[in-house]
Amino acid sequence: MAELKENVNENIFLGESDTDEIEHIPDVITTTSMAINEFLKKTKIQDVINWGRKNSLWFMTQPMGCCGVEMIATGCAHYDTDRFGIIPRNSPRHADVMIISGYVTIKYLPALKKLWEQMPSPKWIICMGDCSISGGPFYESYSTVQNIDKIFPVDVYIPGCPPRPEALLQGFIELQKKIMAKEDHGTDY
Amino acid sequence: MNAQDIIDSLMKSFTGTISNAEVVSDIRVSAYLDKEREESVKTVCQYLKDELGFDHLSNETAVDYIQKGEIEVIYHIASYDHPVLLTLKVRLPRDAPVIESIVPVYWNANWYEREIYELFGVKYTNHPDLRQLILPDDMLGDWPLRKDYEGFPNRTANNLV
Repeated sequence: MAELKENVNENIFLGESDTDEIEHIPDVITTTSMAINEFLKKTKIQDVINWGRKNSLWFMTQPMGCCGVEMIATGCAHYDTDRFGIIPRNSPRHADVMIISGYVTIKYLPALKKLWEQMPSPKWIICMGDCSISGGPFYESYSTVQNIDKIFPVDVYIPGCPPRPEALLQGFIELQKKIMAKEDHGTDY
Repeated sequence: MNAQDIIDSLMKSFTGTISNAEVVSDIRVSAYLDKEREESVKTVCQYLKDELGFDHLSNETAVDYIQKGEIEVIYHIASYDHPVLLTLKVRLPRDAPVIESIVPVYWNANWYEREIYELFGVKYTNHPDLRQLILPDDMLGDWPLRKDYEGFPNRTANNLV
């Protein structure tokens, strides 16, 4: 435990103030260190963990534009996303994937950042539609934020205006391939 | 009440104030209101509402005519009793556009006027709550829908060039 405590300050997922005290639960070993995770990343166990992660990509229902309608259609029974383990969730605290599904305005960007910070790690971002990739038809607007990839670590881009639900499903499958190949931005390898 | 009667009644009541009155069709009339005259736009709207049955403000918007140096505020006023829709336009100087609010007459003009204020910079006097509607706080004063606005963030997306 002493060795683990030394790595506390390197933990990026906790605030600086509450790193000093570790909560003591009877019969449970608690740690605030990432040392175990860092060790597991170098072993074959990470492949098993990634297999579990890629088959439970729960996405946050956060429709932002007309692509949100396609997102809702994807979540309905016809496409049966549950066979890939993809389930829509209503809270960012339950979700693994955030789909940026529309133009991001200057006023909406702080709210989007707050949603992203509320999601537990590991987490991934899918850019859906032309608007979120480059501004789309609104690229010259006074209020559109462009180049969202400089603000969020985007893993998959799905072009289209709007993309078909099949395209969104393919985006999820590409994300699953990236997770298995350990090339995603959600985990720091 | 048909379109011609409405124009005649307006021209008779506000002689010299209403100009370019025109019957476009059976259900559309349009008129200009000269701001320099005595009667304010609120007085005209009160007359339209009380005497001519125009009890529904359908739309309020503005157009920036940069060559002429003026901003036109446009009111679309309709009625639940007769089918005529009136397009009332007021020309304002572009460097200092000030006009009286018509919220006391048509209550739903409140958010329309706040939107025109944030996008065109038209100042409404006697407005109950004149602040921006949805524009971010630090963009107030840029007037984004004016023709000479140059605060666009990017011309093209960087990741496409």
